[in-house]
Amino acid sequence: MFLALREITRSRTRFLLLGGAVGLLVFLIVFVQALTGALIRQFIGAIDHQSGTVLVYSADARKNLEGSRVPLDTVSAVAAVPGVADAGPLGEGTFSVQAGGALRDTVLFASVVGKPGAPTTVIRGRLPHADFEAVASDGNSDKGFRLGATVRVEHSSRPMRIVGIARDANYSVSPTLFTTFDTYQQVRKDANPAAVAVMPSAVAATTDPGVTPAEVRDRINRAVTGVEALTRDQAVAESPGVASVGESIGAIVLLCFFVVVVVAGLFFLILTVQKAQSLTLLRAIGVRAGALVRALLVQVVVVVLGGVVIGGLLGWLALNAAGNSLGARVEIGSLLQTGALVLGLSLVAALGAARRVLRIDPVRATVPGSLDP
Amino acid sequence: MKNALRELRRRPGRFVPVTAALILLTVLLLFLGGLLDGLYIGATGALRAQRAAVVVYSADANDSIIRSRVNETTRAKIERTPGVTAVGGLGISLLGAKVPGETTLADAAVIGYQRPPTGVPAVPPPGDAWADRRLESFGVRVGQTLRLGPREVPIRVRGWVEDTNYLLQGALWVAPETWRGAQNASRPDAPFAPGEFQVVVADGPGDPAALARRIDRATGNETATLTKDQAVLASPGTRQQKSTFNGIIAVTFVVVGLVVALFFALLTLERSPIYGVLKAIGTTTRRLFAGVLVQALIVATAAFLVGGLVTLGLTSVLPARIPILLVGSRAITTFGGILLTAAIGGAISLRRIARIDPVAAIGTGT
Repeated sequence: MFLALREITRSRTRFLLLGGAVGLLVFLIVFVQALTGALIRQFIGAIDHQSGTVLVYSADARKNLEGSRVPLDTVSAVAAVPGVADAGPLGEGTFSVQAGGALRDTVLFASVVGKPGAPTTVIRGRLPHADFEAVASDGNSDKGFRLGATVRVEHSSRPMRIVGIARDANYSVSPTLFTTFDTYQQVRKDANPAAVAVMPSAVAATTDPGVTPAEVRDRINRAVTGVEALTRDQAVAESPGVASVGESIGAIVLLCFFVVVVVAGLFFLILTVQKAQSLTLLRAIGVRAGALVRALLVQVVVVVLGGVVIGGLLGWLALNAAGNSLGARVEIGSLLQTGALVLGLSLVAALGAARRVLRIDPVRATVPGSLDP
Repeated sequence: MKNALRELRRRPGRFVPVTAALILLTVLLLFLGGLLDGLYIGATGALRAQRAAVVVYSADANDSIIRSRVNETTRAKIERTPGVTAVGGLGISLLGAKVPGETTLADAAVIGYQRPPTGVPAVPPPGDAWADRRLESFGVRVGQTLRLGPREVPIRVRGWVEDTNYLLQGALWVAPETWRGAQNASRPDAPFAPGEFQVVVADGPGDPAALARRIDRATGNETATLTKDQAVLASPGTRQQKSTFNGIIAVTFVVVGLVVALFFALLTLERSPIYGVLKAIGTTTRRLFAGVLVQALIVATAAFLVGGLVTLGLTSVLPARIPILLVGSRAITTFGGILLTAAIGGAISLRRIARIDPVAAIGTGT
């Protein structure tokens, strides 16, 4: 332990460089994970945090709520399926909304009061009780979507009052307003006066006790034609873009972990080779191989922990302190998890160097000239 | 310099660690760049292909094509704007397409147009379409009739075009009335009247930004006109994707520099006695440093070549839904970036090389 720490203080530059490299890689992992998590929450938070546990899209929608339209009678057809406790129309659309003195892309999520589809994460205020009341997604107050504020959908005859704020409830990376289905129909007609019909985007349903959403989904798909029912979790995971973004970013994070392991493992291997003479001498004067391996592992732990602290700090500065439009933040839990994984993998990678230490033969120190470089 | 090359040739094993790390970082950089290019190119092809200088949206659309609506009256005002030489309507509907013999719906963007963009032939007869090759991956073939949207509007594929997609959906370039038919049948809540389009593309000599301002003045600000480049960046998510990915790529380049710096700092430390001797017999610091730089650049080049091949192999086995696209310009800029950061990383050793004292080196008996 003493040797390990003394070496670190004496050879600050190389350990700082390694700590810096590990720190930047940890930062990269944390940064990518935080951005991806936030991006996905911003894409589908509204679906994830509405009360329908089964969502029924039109069959041609390709699991895309924006591209789905179902006839109104689909609601009653879904409600009649055994295991469905309640069902209601769900409207979704992107509108231009005057808020905070500017025109903003805003998503409207609409359900019938008391029916499935309402937001489940209201943190301030209340759910809408009447038409032209809305719950807004949090994190958009700087854009005028504050509790008590009024906003106006472009071409709409009436302003909309924000009566509640819901956490993680955005859709399509835009401010999102949860309102009544009648409000949605009205603003759709106002925006498109020639509209011949305003159909629900989907049907939101809840299930009877003792029946799983997956069972109800399968029953709906068998009983109702022209639709594709999905459980809420499935609708989130299989939303267009979410699966591909998740897989792509997963591959990037995996590569980052690989780089950390390769860099840390090879650095300590090189260091061990460079110190071979000193280590042989230490072995010759009675220091046990186990003690030298422990010293090596202590250095791995110190460097990786230093790197995790650097990476975490950089992440905090880049995301939490500087702020960002996605609301991405470094979470302590996620940082610790990443740090633990990096540490574990680095210790495994250091086994090569440890093996080298264990193979050192102290007798070599007694052979004349054997310690010369 | 000669010594540096000789060392690389005689003791390649010594450079394996840094090369391995750089190979992985190259794969990471090419993968990130490929994703960014795939997302950008797949989302913006329909707009990038436009020959027009500006794209005219309705003012209430907030630069969204899908929400924009330009009627015949507004279009007439645009046509009369001084400096406008040509105008064409454009409408886009994102719909699922049933492909004969396939069970999976194809992601399609039905695009009604009047002025052919680059690479797209003249407007086809009603009911026909020029399809983007992206749709081939869904099993689409020339001569097939696809059925679009919930009402299964038939559209026959007449031939292929390339790099003209919109929001990662395969483009079907059709006559305006075909687009309007598909839109109105599939989206009864947002129908378009004859002669009405979502946006209008306009051309004219001179500065596109000035043309855009003139059009908006002429329409009494009923419109919000963007230059073609602005319109491309206004595509949903494009700007955010670019900034996010570029941030990650920049951090990765810094890591490349640090890894190279770390390795050559260790190498320089190990070689200090030899450098001392070389200095004692007259080798200059400049020559020693040049040797380190050459080694850093050769290692970076080798890592890039192997990393490039690994990335090519990886992308060929990735599922089609991951929108990765490797383009030559990205490979060149990545290579340039790796060389630059490797050179900077190698340069970290300069101070240590300069500080080596030949007298002290001789004194140690080396």
